[in-house]
Amino acid sequence: MSLVLLVSGLLILLALLGAPLFTIIAASALWGFYQEGIDFQALAIEFYGIAEMPILLAIPLFTFAGYLLSESQAPQRLVRLSQALLGWMPAGLAVVSLAVCALFTAFTGASGVTIIALGALLLPALQQAGYPEKFSLGLVTSAGSLGLLFAPSLPLILYGVIAEISVDSLFRAGILPGILMLVALSGYSVWTNRAVRVPLGDFSWAEVRAAVRAAAWEIPLPLVVLGGIYSGYFAISEAAAVTAMYVLIVDMLVLREVKWRKLPDIMRESMMLVGGILIILGMSLASTNYMIDAGVPQKLLALVSQFVSSEFSFLVLLLLFLLVLGAILDIFSAIVLVVPLILPVAMQFGVDPIHLGIVFLATMQLGYLTPPVGLNLFISSYRFERGIVEVYLSTLPFFIILLLSVIIIAFWPWLSLVLL
Amino acid sequence: MPITLRKFVSAAGKLGSSLETLLLVLILSSMILLACAQIVLRNVADIGLPWSDELLRMLVLWIALAGAVSASRADKHISIAVLDPFLPALLKKLVRLLIHIFTAVICAIVAWFSLQFVLTSKEYGDLLLGNVPAWCLQAALPLGFALIAWRYLIFFLTDLIALFAADSTAADSLGKEPEL
Repeated sequence: MSLVLLVSGLLILLALLGAPLFTIIAASALWGFYQEGIDFQALAIEFYGIAEMPILLAIPLFTFAGYLLSESQAPQRLVRLSQALLGWMPAGLAVVSLAVCALFTAFTGASGVTIIALGALLLPALQQAGYPEKFSLGLVTSAGSLGLLFAPSLPLILYGVIAEISVDSLFRAGILPGILMLVALSGYSVWTNRAVRVPLGDFSWAEVRAAVRAAAWEIPLPLVVLGGIYSGYFAISEAAAVTAMYVLIVDMLVLREVKWRKLPDIMRESMMLVGGILIILGMSLASTNYMIDAGVPQKLLALVSQFVSSEFSFLVLLLLFLLVLGAILDIFSAIVLVVPLILPVAMQFGVDPIHLGIVFLATMQLGYLTPPVGLNLFISSYRFERGIVEVYLSTLPFFIILLLSVIIIAFWPWLSLVLL
Repeated sequence: MPITLRKFVSAAGKLGSSLETLLLVLILSSMILLACAQIVLRNVADIGLPWSDELLRMLVLWIALAGAVSASRADKHISIAVLDPFLPALLKKLVRLLIHIFTAVICAIVAWFSLQFVLTSKEYGDLLLGNVPAWCLQAALPLGFALIAWRYLIFFLTDLIALFAADSTAADSLGKEPEL
């Protein structure tokens, strides 16, 4: 027993010191196999399971399409179009920023690309329009992970794979909770800027027409992809293939905004992220199977049952746990590692697996904004050359609004389940 | 290190990096083309390609490993590293040494047992995609992990040499990103 503790302690220490997470998972799986006298080949066999999940095809294709989109002028056109449509309302530009970031994040897989592609565009625009510095920085940083609950975001797909539930229904379940977050942040932006005399933009049909014409090649994309997925015409991986091909043709052949010699680097960059996620998934297939064989979910259930007895108290505990988890682990690792263990426990307490997924992802989204790991904080601090503490403090009001939304999402399952 | 050797090492690094990129471009392009061809053929001509689903799933495995190998070259794997900022400089260097050799050893073990898995599969004569021996396609597993192990071994050795290099100029020239 003490040896087990020693090994686990060492692995945790190595992880906290910065060892690649997949090696930690691999080592713990190997240790488990060794304890049980299972041949180490089992690790390779489990990892090979990656080749037995057809839906995983969507991950490289959507990721590549997102990276390519962010290299083109699409973000600029998207901002112009939304500005033409929404710029007339109070705090219009702030609302535009939130909406555009949400759409863009959904398409680029919540990997921090949003802040890099759109932030540099939106931050100066917000400041120029007269929004306070701190508000603008906080808005751009928090908006970088806002579209997480909208199709076709990678975390939703990955949750579907791990929980073995239909990704289509997850895509449907995410709509209202995603809109809630968007509306809450927009409402906050309007309210907090009520004293700031930001000149209202004029609404002009001419500008709308011009913006639509400029974005003529991008507008069909969300319609085809989301329409295709939500109507059931396309399977997810088919929608991903169509998206990748469409973006490739439009950006490389029609608009020619990305140079051909940059294409291999874009492919390489995007596939490094995909490789990094899938190698963790492959290793965790092995460690999870071992843990399920060893009855870890049952032990977890027994432990949790000592503290909670109802769905309500379980959800309270879950939220606290996920807030801490989100501060330490990135969303992708958290899904593959933690979901298989808490899913059976949650179901015992009457939580719907789809609702659990939405709560899980919504809470992990807050993790993008919490120190010490918060990805958005670092990207923003790096991209806009601000101190990490300054970035953190500026996101604080947005964090609180999002936290309130997460609490509503968690205790009002109707929001996630009504559209199924 | 003599100039010629250093030139050779850097040239080998560039070659390796280009090969990785080439491989990623090839796999990703075939995935996009094959997946789209599948949709077009099914909807327009009502033809299904019997092996295409299986091949696409294999390509996902390959791109996962090729992407992970590329991520290793840039040392860009997902990690936690909460304690890292609090460590003093020398300890940080030692910790990096430890982590690099740990990663290399774990990946070497995984590569070795993946090889056993592939050999077993070869022995049984498993077939994929109709009549292709499964082990040819599965060989990506040991190969990928061996390359990651190799990369982190290089990281480890470079760090070690840099740590023990007597004069600072030698440490400077060797402390750079290793390219092999």
